[in-house]
Amino acid sequence: MTAADAAFGAPAPRGLAGSPIGLLVRLVRRPEGAFGALILAVFAVLAIAPELFVGPLQTAVTAPGTRLSPPSPEFPFGTDELRRDMLNLTVHGARVSMAIGLLATLVTVFIGAVVGIVAGFLGGRVDAILMRITDFFLVIPTFVLALILTPIIRDLVGSGSAQVLGIRMTLIVIVIVIGITSWSSTARIIRSQTLSLKERAFVDRARVIGAGGGHIMRRHILPNVINLIVANAVLVFAGAVLTETTLSFVGLGDPFQPSWGQLLEAARTVGAPGLGAWWYFVPPGVGIVLVVFAFTLVGGALDDLLNPKRRGRR
Amino acid sequence: MSGSYLARRLSSALFTIALIVVVNFILFRAMPGSPERVILRGTPNVTPAQLEAARERWGLNDPIFPISFEEAGVVVSADNQFFKFVGATVAGDLGYSFVARGQTVGDVLAQRIWPTVILFGLGELVAIVLGLALGAYTGWRRGGGVDLVGNGVSLVLYSTPYFLLGMALLLVFATGLRWFPTFGMLTAGVTYPDLGARLVDFLAHLALPLTTVSLGLVGQYAIVMRSSIVETLSDDYVTTARGMGLSEGRILRHHALPNALLPTVSLIAINLGYVVAGAITVEVVFNWPGLGTLAVEALTARDYPVLQGVFLLLSVSVVLANLVADLIYGLLDPRVRT
Repeated sequence: MTAADAAFGAPAPRGLAGSPIGLLVRLVRRPEGAFGALILAVFAVLAIAPELFVGPLQTAVTAPGTRLSPPSPEFPFGTDELRRDMLNLTVHGARVSMAIGLLATLVTVFIGAVVGIVAGFLGGRVDAILMRITDFFLVIPTFVLALILTPIIRDLVGSGSAQVLGIRMTLIVIVIVIGITSWSSTARIIRSQTLSLKERAFVDRARVIGAGGGHIMRRHILPNVINLIVANAVLVFAGAVLTETTLSFVGLGDPFQPSWGQLLEAARTVGAPGLGAWWYFVPPGVGIVLVVFAFTLVGGALDDLLNPKRRGRR
Repeated sequence: MSGSYLARRLSSALFTIALIVVVNFILFRAMPGSPERVILRGTPNVTPAQLEAARERWGLNDPIFPISFEEAGVVVSADNQFFKFVGATVAGDLGYSFVARGQTVGDVLAQRIWPTVILFGLGELVAIVLGLALGAYTGWRRGGGVDLVGNGVSLVLYSTPYFLLGMALLLVFATGLRWFPTFGMLTAGVTYPDLGARLVDFLAHLALPLTTVSLGLVGQYAIVMRSSIVETLSDDYVTTARGMGLSEGRILRHHALPNALLPTVSLIAINLGYVVAGAITVEVVFNWPGLGTLAVEALTARDYPVLQGVFLLLSVSVVLANLVADLIYGLLDPRVRT
C-alpha cells in the first residue's frame, strides 16, 4: 500500500487471489489439484457430448443386447435387465448427474451468497433472523426434509413432459429442493468474510461518497467474496451430486433421464447385488465416487489457496 | 458451567424444535388434497359426520394462523389451525398412517425405532473409535506411509455413498462368499430353539449393515481428527512441551489429543444431520426394518403423515444430540462457557 493509498483509503482490491485464470494455474500446480481437475475434465467432456462416444441414449425399444449379460467384447460394461448397454447408460448418466449437480450448485450458492452478504453487511436484527434460519438448516437432517419436499413440490408444479433447458420437470424439482436445503454452510462462510470486509476503508469511502447499501454489496463486497464463492461452489457441487444420487436411489429420480443414482436404484430394484450382476452398479458407482472424489480434492486445494488462515501451511 | 451458557443452548435448541414444528405445519398445509382428506385417508368408510368431527378437531373451520386479515380488519384469534396443530404435535398426536390402516403415526414409528437405534448407535460407536484413532495417528505421523494410505482411503470412503458401499459388501460377502444373509433383521419364518440362536441370527444379519455404516462414517471422522491434530501440533504450547524435552508420545497423549478432540466432538454432532441421509439408504439396501426403510416405504406410497413423523422424530433427535454435545463441550472446554 502506498502513502497515497493510506491517505485516501486503498482502492477496492481485486479478489482474494487475483484473476480466475491465475487461480486455475496455481491450482493445477498442486498435485492433488491437478489430479482432481484431470478427472473432472474427462467427465466434463463425457457429459457435454455423450452421443459422440456412445450414440443416443438407448431405450427398452432400441436396446441391442440380451438381458443382464456380463461384460463382453461387444458390451464392455454388460447390459441391464432391459437389454440396454451399460456403457451407453453410464456415459449418458454422467450428463444427467453433472447437469443436475451444476444447476443445484448454482441455486445453492446463489441463495447462500445472498443470505451471507445481506446478513453480514446489514447486521443487527436482519443478521440475527437470517442466522437463526441458517442454523436451523445446518442442524436438521435436510435430506429427510428433501424427501418430503420433493413429492409435494412435484404435485404442485404438476408432472408432465415439460422441460427446462432440456431437463425434465421432475429433475428441475430435485434441483430446487437441493438448493432450498443445502445453502446454509455457504451462507455462514460468506457472512464471516463479509463481516471483515465491511470494516475495510474502501467500504467507508464508498459510503461517504453516497453509495447505498445495495450498491456497496453488489460492487464492493461481492467482487471480494467471489473467489471464496467459487471455492465453496466446488465443494457444494460434490455434495449436490451425492444428494441427487441419494434422492434418485430412494426412488425420486426420473427413469426417462437416468442419472447415476437412478441407475443404482434400478440395479437395487432388480436385485443386482443378489444376482451377482456387479456390472450393473459398478460403472455408475465408480463414476459417482470419482466425480465426488475429484471435486473434494479440487475444493480442498482451492480452500488452501484462498483461505488466509491455511495459506502456506501444508 | 454457568447458567447463561446452559440457558442459551437450551433456548436455541427449543427454538430450532419450534421451527421444525412450524415447517411441519407448512408442509401439512401445502399437501395436495383438502386437509381433512389428508388426515382421514387412512380411515376406511368415512361418514360425513366423521369428516365434520375431523374438521372440528383440527380446527379446519378456523383461520389458519392466529392473526388473519379479513374485511373487518386484522383479527386475532386463539382458535386457529396452527395452534391446534402445535397442540396435537406436543401431545404426541401425529395423525394416522395412510397405508397402515387405522394405525397412528406414533404406533408406526414406535415399531421401527429400535432397529435404527441399534444399527446407528453401534455404527457411530465403532466409527468414532476407529476414525479418531486413525485420524490421530495419521495426523501425528504426518507424511508417513500410514498417513498417505489412510488419508487416501479416508477421502475415497468419504466420497462413496453409503448405499454403494452396502451394495458392494452385499455382492461380495452375501451373494459371493455366502458368509452373511442378504436382507432383513431375522430370517423369515424361522422358530428359534432359544434366545441364543435368535441372537446369533440377529448378529449375522447385523454384520454387513453395521460394517457399511461404520466404514461410511470412519472416513470423515478420520479426516476431521487428522486436521485437528495437525492444527494442534503447530500450537505454541506443543512447541513449549517439546522445548521442555517431553517425549513425542507424551505430548500427543497429554497435550495435543485432549485439545484436538474438542472441535471433533462438535463436528461429529453437526454432521449427524448428514449421517441420517446415509442411514436411510443403508437400511434400504439391506432391507433393515428401521426408520430409513419406513421413510422410503412412506415416500413410495406418498404416506405423508408417516413421512412427516419420521422427519419430526429424526430432526428432534439430531437437535437434542447436538444439545448434549454442546453441553459436553461446555463441560470440557471452559472457554466456551462465557
